[in-house]
Amino acid sequence: MRIAAGVDVGSTQTKAVLVGANGDGVNVLSRSLIDTGANVRRAAEKAFDECCQAAGISQSDVGFVVGTGYGRYNISFGHTQMTEISCHARGAHFLCPGTRTVIDMGGQDAKAIGVGPSGEVLDFVMNDKCAAGTGRFLANAAEVMGLGLDDIGPLSLRATRPVKIATVCTVFVESDILSYLSQGKRPEDIMEGVHLAIAKRTLSLARRVNIEPLITMTGGVARNIGMVRALETVLGQKIVVTPDAQFMGAVGAALFSLEKLGESFESGVWRDHAVSSGN
Amino acid sequence: MAEKSASEYRGSIHQQQKELMLDWYQRLDHAAETGDPPTVSMMISGNCVELLEGFGAIPLYPEVNALQLAIRHQSLEPILAAEEMGYAGDNCAYVKADIGCMLKGITPTGGRLPKPTLVLCNFVGCNTYVKWFEHVAAFTGAPLYVLDVPFLRGDQPSQADIDYVVRQLKEVVLQIEMLTGRKFDYDRFRQSVAYSSEVEDLWSQIKHLAKYSPSPFDAYFDAITLMGPLYVYRGKREGVEFFRAALNELKEKAQAGNGIYEQERFRVVVEGPPPYPYFRTFRDMFASWSAVAVASTYSTVGGLWEFGFRHDPKCPFESVAMHMLAQNVTNRNYLQRYDQIRRYVQEWKADGVIIHFVKSCRLFSAGQGDMRDYFTKQLGVPTLYIESDLEDPRYFAEAQTKNRIDAFFESLEHAKHTAGHAVFERSR
Repeated sequence: MRIAAGVDVGSTQTKAVLVGANGDGVNVLSRSLIDTGANVRRAAEKAFDECCQAAGISQSDVGFVVGTGYGRYNISFGHTQMTEISCHARGAHFLCPGTRTVIDMGGQDAKAIGVGPSGEVLDFVMNDKCAAGTGRFLANAAEVMGLGLDDIGPLSLRATRPVKIATVCTVFVESDILSYLSQGKRPEDIMEGVHLAIAKRTLSLARRVNIEPLITMTGGVARNIGMVRALETVLGQKIVVTPDAQFMGAVGAALFSLEKLGESFESGVWRDHAVSSGN
Repeated sequence: MAEKSASEYRGSIHQQQKELMLDWYQRLDHAAETGDPPTVSMMISGNCVELLEGFGAIPLYPEVNALQLAIRHQSLEPILAAEEMGYAGDNCAYVKADIGCMLKGITPTGGRLPKPTLVLCNFVGCNTYVKWFEHVAAFTGAPLYVLDVPFLRGDQPSQADIDYVVRQLKEVVLQIEMLTGRKFDYDRFRQSVAYSSEVEDLWSQIKHLAKYSPSPFDAYFDAITLMGPLYVYRGKREGVEFFRAALNELKEKAQAGNGIYEQERFRVVVEGPPPYPYFRTFRDMFASWSAVAVASTYSTVGGLWEFGFRHDPKCPFESVAMHMLAQNVTNRNYLQRYDQIRRYVQEWKADGVIIHFVKSCRLFSAGQGDMRDYFTKQLGVPTLYIESDLEDPRYFAEAQTKNRIDAFFESLEHAKHTAGHAVFERSR
């Protein structure tokens, strides 16, 4: 079995995925997720090392490694680099066949990617020099409310009268929230307002690449069910989220790695014995 | 996937360009000391540099000074000085760099810059320049003349527009005569217009060499190098000699099948000025993909000669007016710019368009979001939109910019092997 890896060094978290191919599909051997921290190179090494240990193989057994994400050029053991834009499109095309639009929301990035029938990137737009509409915005809002990042999504689903958050500025949202708290607004209504504010901003981003179904959401923010629902509300369409959404960049990188090893496949079976079934 | 390619083309014309520009700065330094020759502050786009030859005067370009500072990584200090004085963060960074230089006594080469004999605001398209030149006049104490050049409303200027500008040009002649005490030499002016016509013809031929595959030069980055002599020496014999040598050098390369990379992989059209404070870094982002610009709108700020216009010594005043009104990119309307880029994509056979939005230049950048939509959605031309600034280093985010450029070329590479490319081919 040919073994390949994808390592996605994001601004907040580093993800690694180890895959193997034996002709009729792709087997996920392992995955790892760690905080990137200040030492990008070490984060990449640690994520890759944890992945290899979890799969019970040595690093030398891995035939090809593609690095992606902002820290991709700091991956000392990588054979080549690709942008996370290509990797998210590739991963979504494989795990969610028929994907035509990818909405990727990470720690500091929000992207909309138009995907072609072969998984190629047709067009993309990203937030520019501003963290509005990214995971950082949600993290700041959660912190002001004294809530955990994993709690805000489910909480927002209980909203009955969401507030209007006027700003999309990651810094100024704090004063908006404090103002609503002082008015006695309920936390769930405030958080739903926060999610809708981001969703509307993301909608304007996505419209620039033509929103076509199937829409797949990727990136760490896809774990937030409140964000997924808010996006569905403003888009008026269903969004597909796989359990591997946060790993999508690494998945795409791993698939490109397999191609580098001579494996050719359009789509196929994604067998995952490690954590979850992605397809 | 990004791979480091061979370094780009560096020919003898790059060295000659440096010498010509240095010579210009030395003459400005001499003018600062002696008052001779007379100097006239002007803006690049759609100017009337030929008129100055009638007095043996030389141009002084605040824009060139500003970009020279930026490319030498010296623009932030004067920008901050101007902001301390009260210029807003959103003001044109060229203006702030230039004003800051006056406040701090900074020049790009360390030499002196003269007090201009006349500040001649040849306002085409950019209304910020009116204020800029008013400030230049105020800071230097030099007299100001603002040329009112009507914006191009239709495809061509009306006869009334042309007459209106010609009348003003003749008034400028009288002004300079009065300021210098020199009589306007009409024959020398006409000769300068003839030199301009020759330079424009040579420059146009050079631009069309980029239709070769591989292209013998980069029509964005190398064109910018050639733009210095184009603006300073357009109406002079030295300009004709320089561009004749450049054409011969590049034609030889083109005919021998030599490009700027070992293997040219992508051909793009670039819209918008470059981020001068990171010029080298920005160029390397293209070089790592062996991507060559085969055409650019920025290189037509001074004039749109690749589509046929030439100054005409038989009617020098009228042709100067025509150039100012209709034959430079900034005085034209946006639909004309769309068409210009569309022609580049089709006739120069480009794979895509890269739009560089300049934060502090609304003139060049307003409407580029629509432009992106036009090319991607209506024509199916892959188009990348990136943002920074032409002068202010604080707006350039290297990692973000590189990420977008890498992703764009990855998608072009992928498209070459998939149906995506077929869609684009049909759209041409």
